Amino acid sequence: MSFDFGRVALFIFFFVVPVIGIALGLRSPAMRSRIPIITAFIAGMIPILSLYIPKGFLSGPQGMSPRLDRWLIIVAGFALLLGIVNVVQNNSRRIARRDAGWAFSVVLLAGLLVTGSLGIWGAVSGEGIGFRADGSTTPFKWIEDRFFQPLQSTIFSLLAFFMASAAFRAFRARNTEATILLVAAGLVMAGRVPLFELLAAPFPALQPSAASVSLFLGGLTEWIMNIPNGAAQSGIIIGDALGAASMAIRVILGIERGYLGLGAGE
Amino acid sequence: MAKRPSAMDRFLEWTLNLDRRWIYLLVAVSVITPIVVPIGLPVTTTSSTRSAFEFVETLKPGDVAWLSFDYGPSSAPENDPMAEAFLRQCFLKKVRVVVIALYPLGGLGLANNVLAKITAEFPNLVYGEDYVNLGYKDGAAAVMRRLGDNIADAFPTDVNGRPIGEFPILRGIHDIKQVKVVFTAATGLIGEYWITQVHAQFGTPVIIGPTAVSAPKYYAFLNAGQLVGMLGGMKGAAEYEKLLRAKYPELDRFYGGTRLFTATKGMDGQTVLHTVILLLILLGNIAYLRSRARRRVTDVGGGRGPAGTRP
Repeated sequence: MSFDFGRVALFIFFFVVPVIGIALGLRSPAMRSRIPIITAFIAGMIPILSLYIPKGFLSGPQGMSPRLDRWLIIVAGFALLLGIVNVVQNNSRRIARRDAGWAFSVVLLAGLLVTGSLGIWGAVSGEGIGFRADGSTTPFKWIEDRFFQPLQSTIFSLLAFFMASAAFRAFRARNTEATILLVAAGLVMAGRVPLFELLAAPFPALQPSAASVSLFLGGLTEWIMNIPNGAAQSGIIIGDALGAASMAIRVILGIERGYLGLGAGE
Repeated sequence: MAKRPSAMDRFLEWTLNLDRRWIYLLVAVSVITPIVVPIGLPVTTTSSTRSAFEFVETLKPGDVAWLSFDYGPSSAPENDPMAEAFLRQCFLKKVRVVVIALYPLGGLGLANNVLAKITAEFPNLVYGEDYVNLGYKDGAAAVMRRLGDNIADAFPTDVNGRPIGEFPILRGIHDIKQVKVVFTAATGLIGEYWITQVHAQFGTPVIIGPTAVSAPKYYAFLNAGQLVGMLGGMKGAAEYEKLLRAKYPELDRFYGGTRLFTATKGMDGQTVLHTVILLLILLGNIAYLRSRARRRVTDVGGGRGPAGTRP
């Protein structure tokens, strides 16, 4: 039997060490931050090292880094679970206290319970959560199609009304910067749609001219989106990436500890 | 005696204080009318959509394309037509399609609906040979990293729980590097992950179909050559439909009629709404500038300060 160094190392780093950390943390509050910081350091360093050290135990198909990637999918699933726990806790509390709008919490929890139960039933029974073999919809899918999808669409549709009202009130040529923004936005809005063809619709003789103007505006819009917008977006994306990298380094090195949720003295 | 404001001034003053409910009514009428009575306005194509379309045209029968539903019902009117057009093009070209969903809020439901709709149009397609639905997986970026090493690691079964080894479509396709193109119909960050986690690390070409709100960000990736093409919002979808109709006249039965919702039909509503909003902005600015000019005159006349200053 070959010795799987990567597997053993992961077991030590992410099971033995955290268990020791929990035991020590129970004895001394000051120790509670040490082990999570060490765990975060190891979890952060393994993927980085795997890019520079081409060793099987690190970056091979069964190496430490690919295994961590697999774990990441599982951890992401726990984040959903955590969200559900949080929703249940907050809304149960609101109902118990009879806070303003508590009836909405009842609806939310009932929806969560019914939909969640049907989804779990679909998974356990093997029926699934989409279509059955005969093409009919499962109860989960029925709820999704008739409640969830229309509700989500409705909420997003309201944005059109708010945006129109906000654009009317906020897009004013108050100063030079606002005027530049106003002109650019107006050009892009006009250039993205066949606006002049619509305005010239009652006058067929004007259609060719309207098409030419639309074509010109479309070209101008593309230029605005490609050049000034593209350049600004590149800067934002690069800045964003550098910020994320520096934050990652702070977490790995234990400088940033906010995510630990520690109390005083810990 | 103060000069009595003209009818125009009174109208502009009324405009400045316009009740928002009138705007809401105008928006509703502008959107609903073209849906009920389609206008059939022309659509012009842009280079980003053309390059996406032409790339898919270069695929050969039997190639495998990857379609990811990374959006929810909130942006379905924009993203659904993109996914539908891409599927129709692939199926017409006999390109095999692997479908997944990475968006937690309804991505899988939309994938199921769109697949059911499009595969019904092509009755000769065989599930598992011509297309397969691998379902939803949580943790978008983490899933993409696994796809680079082994697809079966991220999706061991299809949406119905059948092992993916059973499907001929995936024989010889071990990881995402062997896929010819990834098409992501996306809202939010997941579309960006396909670029940073898949294209940048494994080299697989990516086409993105973002919502119009998030499209500006992707011009940076497009300019950097990290995207093959982009279908920006409903306009991009309508452009793709136009290109598809021109290349495959048999698709007129879907895109030529007015019964089905298509992006081309949706563009009528968007055009009317853009026109209304632009006119409102124009009117609002005329009213604002006129009011500011009147205030300056009043201020100077009243001796309260130099022109251009406000009390």
